[in-house]
Amino acid sequence: MKILVPTKRVPDTDQKIRVRDDRQGVDIEHLPFVINPFDAIALEEAIRIGEQRDSVEVLAVGIGTALYEAELRTALAMGADRALLVEVEDYDDSRGGLDPWNVACLLREIVRREHSDLVLMGKQAVDDDAGQVAQFLAALLDWPQATCASAVEIQPEGLRVARETDSGIETIETSLPAVISTDLRLNEPRYASLPSILKSRKKPIERIPLADLGLEQEPRIEILDMEAVSAERSCQFADNVDQLVGFLRQDTEATEE
Amino acid sequence: MAGTSQQTADVVVIGGGVAGLSTAMQLATRGASVIVVERDRLGNGSSGRAAGLLGQLRGTTAATRMLMDGVEIVQELERQADVEIFVQTGSLRIAETSERAQEIVDLVEMGKSIDFEIDHLDNEQVAEFLPYMKTDDLLDACYCPTDGHLQPAELVSAYIKVGRSNGVEYRTDSPCQGLVMESGRVTGVKTSGGTIHAPAVINAGGPWSYLLAGMAEATLPTAALGHVYLTTRPDDNNPVDRLSPAIRDRHLRLYARPESGGLIVGMYGEDTVEVDMETLPEDFDMSALKARPDDLHLAMLIDAAEKRFPWINPRTPMTVTMGIMTFTPDGKPFCGTMPDLEGLYHCSGFSGHGIVQSPAIGVIMADLVLEGSTSYDIEAIEADRYFDMPGFQQRSDIKNRCYQMQASYYGKVEGGSQPADES
Repeated sequence: MKILVPTKRVPDTDQKIRVRDDRQGVDIEHLPFVINPFDAIALEEAIRIGEQRDSVEVLAVGIGTALYEAELRTALAMGADRALLVEVEDYDDSRGGLDPWNVACLLREIVRREHSDLVLMGKQAVDDDAGQVAQFLAALLDWPQATCASAVEIQPEGLRVARETDSGIETIETSLPAVISTDLRLNEPRYASLPSILKSRKKPIERIPLADLGLEQEPRIEILDMEAVSAERSCQFADNVDQLVGFLRQDTEATEE
Repeated sequence: MAGTSQQTADVVVIGGGVAGLSTAMQLATRGASVIVVERDRLGNGSSGRAAGLLGQLRGTTAATRMLMDGVEIVQELERQADVEIFVQTGSLRIAETSERAQEIVDLVEMGKSIDFEIDHLDNEQVAEFLPYMKTDDLLDACYCPTDGHLQPAELVSAYIKVGRSNGVEYRTDSPCQGLVMESGRVTGVKTSGGTIHAPAVINAGGPWSYLLAGMAEATLPTAALGHVYLTTRPDDNNPVDRLSPAIRDRHLRLYARPESGGLIVGMYGEDTVEVDMETLPEDFDMSALKARPDDLHLAMLIDAAEKRFPWINPRTPMTVTMGIMTFTPDGKPFCGTMPDLEGLYHCSGFSGHGIVQSPAIGVIMADLVLEGSTSYDIEAIEADRYFDMPGFQQRSDIKNRCYQMQASYYGKVEGGSQPADES
């Protein structure tokens, strides 16, 4: 089975994010980048499937400039068998990179080239929170999909996937090939072992320029303006429960308006 | 802020970590007016990331006395602030090679000679104490029942609580922007909230302290080095009692102690990360440091931890803590003034032992500032011991010497009657 894990390079979630003065992107000068945490969960799941079954190949895919090699190296150290970087020259990490539609179109080409059986990817990237690529990709491929997976089980004839919804856990079955997007509670990604880190240094990272896929970027989204969320908060002290209820009621009414 | 705050004090302390907070508290207790200026939040630098291991038996009686007195100071603090700071778990040192076993023989002998509670343990006793540790390869072990650890967060809050009740003013988000110099002496600190004038200024800037010294054109030979430890999450199969002893395994370069049902395991490896503090962003937040999943130092730590605690591996649910330590060329702190520069007292370079040294260091610093001398034997920690000494003046030399100190720490085998100077 060939598992494709698309990953996105995003700013480390623990860092303070500052919008640049030109309001066209975030300041990335001192910003450490990581594999999008939801994608790291997808990668962990793929690696676990590979550990439990014979002849599974895990391919980690990244999109961006040569800067992405560091994160793809991390994916190899965690246990991916191969890594592939789709080079996009003017890829801009400070603005969330390509838009979801272009990412999905690009991934479709990779899936075709690689003859993947399963795409496992994060349900969303934590930089733009768009949460669209898995669904677009499944539609473009005309494959079944299961989003926000909290458990994935390989069955003789396909997959059984659990999804956490507001009303409980939904379990669905799907045939393969399929696109699965992963939720937070699916697993906890591992740290790379020392032997695995050393071994990964010898694994090559394949590079494909975007043009070689016969694709061009056709932006569907234009970022007009970026603004930092105001961190100002006000604090009111309630003397008793009735007053607290009053505050909450006021606040709710203000929100509903 | 600038208009309403008092702009003069008896002492300004730069740095709101345990060194600065302890010093401020002791000064205020003795009646001095003290302002602490902190670039970020109190206790959010190295202090907030420390493991806090307290091993009282050290290479010299002076160092041992400081730590034993520290325990008494902490016990008094616990009463005043009504928190548990010192967790007396006891500590265990283990040896799996004959050289390390000899170190333990020497250590026990040295401890007994000064009436410190310490004795050998056989493997069966060790296994009983620590069911989650591999013990079948041990040649010797020794146990110090009065050791343990200080809880860093509780220590920080106790210093602040007692300090505040004695009038210490804490100014957070107030990085030091410069020092006021008048005819060769430091007389104040420039901050975004204005200049604060004081006849005594304490440089308790931890990893930043060499930069603060540089503002007065003084050379403080410290270097900032990265450190990493892991904390396993509670595991029903390998329960870690909150009072199980701290462990030091110098052969594997590991230390460990219980924490919230899990185990803290850290390593003083041969290799570490050097940090140039001047290159960090102005609003650098140490608590945001994070290990990459393929961090080599973390992988080496996990690899070593697995050898002693076989249930720990790269997939063990754990939290990884990264921080920055301030090392000196000999692993001992710098306390006091430098020649030709009055008014500036250094209090930095604790080389991974700031938490446990801080209680007594506060007393020493208050002695030095208010009395000009102290009853403690501070020869080994005086700030001027490398003053003008060739080979300790250039940043590259200083960094190299501090780096070597860290690398040999835990690594070197102690010979003869000289026991290991480690906690």
